[in-house]
Amino acid sequence: MSSASELHPRQSAISAQQAARFLQQAGFSSTDSEIAAVQKLGYANWLDKEFARPISESNWNWLVSMGYDTEEFKSKGFVPPAHAAIWQRLITAPDVLRQRFALALSEFFVISIQGTALPYRHFAMAAWWDMLCAHAFGNYRDLLEAVTLSPAMGRYLNTAGNQKADPAKGRQPDENYAREVLQLFSIGLVQLNPNGTPRLDGQGRMIETYTQEDISQLARVFTGWVVPAPREAEDPEFARQPMRFIPARHSMLEARFLGASIPANTDGFKALRIALDTIFHHPNVGAFFGKQMIQRLVTSNPSPAYVARVAQAFDDNGQGVRGDMQAVIRAILLDKEARATPAPTYGKLREPMLRFLHWARSFPASAEDGKWNLGDLSNPAHALGQQPLKAPSVFNFFRPGYTPADTAIAAQDMTAPEFQLVDEASVAGYLNFMQNVIARGRGGVKADYARELAMAHDSAALVQHLNLILCAGQMREETRNAIHQAIDTINVNDDKGKSQRVHAAIFLSMSGPDYLIQR
Amino acid sequence: MKINHLPDMSRRAFLQRSAALGITGALAPWAMQLSLLGEAAAAVTEKNVDEADYKALVCIFLGGGNDHANTLVPCDAEHHAAYAAIRSSLALDRELLQEYALSPRSALGDGLQFALAPGLAPLKPLWDSQRLAIQLNVGPLIVPTSLAQFKSGSVPLPPKLFSHNDQTSIWQSGMSEGARSGWGGRMGEMLLASNRESSFTAISASGNAVFLSGRHMARYQISPRGAIPIHGVRRALYGSPRCQTALHQLITQADPNLFGNEYNRVVRRSIDAQARIDQALARSPTLKTVFDENNPLAQQLGMVARMIAAHAHLGVRRQVFLVELNGFDTHDDLLERHSELLPQLATAMRAFHDATVELGMEQNVTAFTASDFGRTLTSNGDGSDHGWGSHHFIMGGAVKGRQFYGAAPAIAVNGPDDVGQGRLLPTTSVDQYAATFARWMGVPANELAQVMPNIGNFSASDLGFV
Repeated sequence: MSSASELHPRQSAISAQQAARFLQQAGFSSTDSEIAAVQKLGYANWLDKEFARPISESNWNWLVSMGYDTEEFKSKGFVPPAHAAIWQRLITAPDVLRQRFALALSEFFVISIQGTALPYRHFAMAAWWDMLCAHAFGNYRDLLEAVTLSPAMGRYLNTAGNQKADPAKGRQPDENYAREVLQLFSIGLVQLNPNGTPRLDGQGRMIETYTQEDISQLARVFTGWVVPAPREAEDPEFARQPMRFIPARHSMLEARFLGASIPANTDGFKALRIALDTIFHHPNVGAFFGKQMIQRLVTSNPSPAYVARVAQAFDDNGQGVRGDMQAVIRAILLDKEARATPAPTYGKLREPMLRFLHWARSFPASAEDGKWNLGDLSNPAHALGQQPLKAPSVFNFFRPGYTPADTAIAAQDMTAPEFQLVDEASVAGYLNFMQNVIARGRGGVKADYARELAMAHDSAALVQHLNLILCAGQMREETRNAIHQAIDTINVNDDKGKSQRVHAAIFLSMSGPDYLIQR
Repeated sequence: MKINHLPDMSRRAFLQRSAALGITGALAPWAMQLSLLGEAAAAVTEKNVDEADYKALVCIFLGGGNDHANTLVPCDAEHHAAYAAIRSSLALDRELLQEYALSPRSALGDGLQFALAPGLAPLKPLWDSQRLAIQLNVGPLIVPTSLAQFKSGSVPLPPKLFSHNDQTSIWQSGMSEGARSGWGGRMGEMLLASNRESSFTAISASGNAVFLSGRHMARYQISPRGAIPIHGVRRALYGSPRCQTALHQLITQADPNLFGNEYNRVVRRSIDAQARIDQALARSPTLKTVFDENNPLAQQLGMVARMIAAHAHLGVRRQVFLVELNGFDTHDDLLERHSELLPQLATAMRAFHDATVELGMEQNVTAFTASDFGRTLTSNGDGSDHGWGSHHFIMGGAVKGRQFYGAAPAIAVNGPDDVGQGRLLPTTSVDQYAATFARWMGVPANELAQVMPNIGNFSASDLGFV
């Protein structure tokens, strides 16, 4: 099959393996019914159907339905319902593309539950997730504004409470958000070519995008915003409203940054719009944002041409609209580089939280008490070393340019962001965690292996099935044989034996590189 | 051949190991990476290892950029007044500081007297007994830089100043983010010849950081509770010995995919090292010193102390460690957050020092602090913003303590050391700070540039604090 025909799925059949591979990039799992849907619709139509699918029940509503909105849950430090809300949504929500992209966005626009001390903190986290979902198929500019004015982000990067300068007290505006919105959420540190490579000056040096002076001036724009103090928050409602603006606390000084100028005495809302428009229209955004979304969904080392195609879709969706997320998602997932047969250096390490979600969705997990008490899985030595919305800092769990030192990956000048989580302790932690969770579940959340138990008597069929739904058919013959021969020695004359064989087959399938490297 | 890029000392270590392992000819390219040799190093028997000749260097990284101005605070009337006038809402009360005033062996000029922040009280006795020194205003520089040169841009400056990830990387490696090796790792690599087990030369008890990566040597990651065993390869897997064997094969074999092969390499190191560490720890003395269960830094330093206690059984004479305490990015709530963080830092450091005394090894262990950057002297209301130069602690029995090193910066906005809002232009470079530790660890003066490439740009490569 030529790559051209792969771009036009209606003209040629999509194999189950190809459908599974696509689904694992676009979602969390590739069950038989999901594979059948992609084969029936084709890639592009499947995306359109996902774009049109209603948003699943909000994390906010789930928290309310569970009774977590009462005064007793107001305390700043009480966070378990926040984790439960996100896990249940990621595991059960039918809008998989939206959830998958929201998760990718949460690793670009980073907040962490650790640095977001607000009353009803779990609602602030829920509102953040719901906000990412609401804008995942919208426009980047709207998302950037929602991010900027979110109480959770306001608390995390200190826009909340930020005030204009007071020369008498020597007080200056807080620069945190001004710096990170440029460095991490939009344009990055250095000027980029449309294909994401750095632009170089006459001496071959990279060109920085902004100076400290740009930051100090932009910081003036982000003054005047507040969130309620704990005693003022009678209920969680504030957490899903934009921060409140207090004109008297806002700097009315002129602000010059990135070549733009906001005149003195500009109204605070207007100043914010000018600032965000300026950032949004910077030529870096498409490549800077687009490349990281490719890395989250498809591959660690996209070619510059692939990045350029995605950046082009960001710059113009074909109808003159800049920042259209649907156009970006289509460009990422329908690209010939995403759909072509992968080379041996292609792909990425699956993030630990994606491996866990893959398990939970492939063998449909449910919470017997409805509470989804999976808890915090961020301990690398004993769990996943990763938890949605709990990165160690605004720099996410890993950096887009990370390369593990002293490896063949470094020798080839490639990046492998997810390897920043890989070390002697975390590889052991992952295996031990999965071995346990596959057999016993966790916190009352258990998998349903009915389909696999029904084929437990036939090791070859079981391995072939897992190869498709877990590895998109990319399990090597040696791996299949090793698993087949090993599980075949487990006696399946009783239910216990059948369970052991199924557990072993799943664990072995998810333990090695054939699974861990998504390609 | 890659080996040609190794500095002399590392090349000698490499060749010794290659010979001892019988790795020659066609097999040699496989062994190009010293860490691979580490995986097989149990086969190497080295004679004449003098176990008493042991040195450990411990980097305590304060993640987020510590507010140096509220860590080491002027407490004489004149300088405290200047400090309090600039950061009124953040200033510590002068009365509260007097108990922690530091009397150095040679006084700072101009009547300047510093005190430790009250939260650092557990460190005061170490200062008094000359186990603690302070390096003033140290930060990344490429060449010595005056304020005029900074303003006119007439000398090269470290890239991406004031950015967390880049300045962290520059502090740890000399390069902005993307650096492939750090000075802890490079130093360890140069001292590899001392170690029978190269895999335990550079050890992190915190997260993944470039500081400990060598050019050809990987760091080892230990959890604060020790090495984590992989249960599935130690016992029958779900009751099946054959599945246990299959698991071992799948997670350790070479893989045709570039990423997959590197992942399994880490798993092999994990399995191999865990067995040896467990053995070594079991044969080593149990520490009586208490490391607070609820203090993450103390837990990491407790593990480091146990590894140091086990050094003879691990076959190492030179080790570099990294531990980390996060939360120092105090844009907000500086006073509240510092009042939690500084006591955590000080009690953990104190416990660690006490443990080295208990082991009779305080002369063999030097610890120091580092951080992304210092912060602005001005206030943003209830916090401070990203800066550059900062003050840092050096602790240990070999330290020439109760002394300040470097130049005390002027306490002023728009003063002679200020690049804006009281961000300090460093007067001592990280290269010099690092080189001083490298000298103590035994790196020869003529090979210091292998550790810190810019050291030749500075007149002093030994600051004298250890």
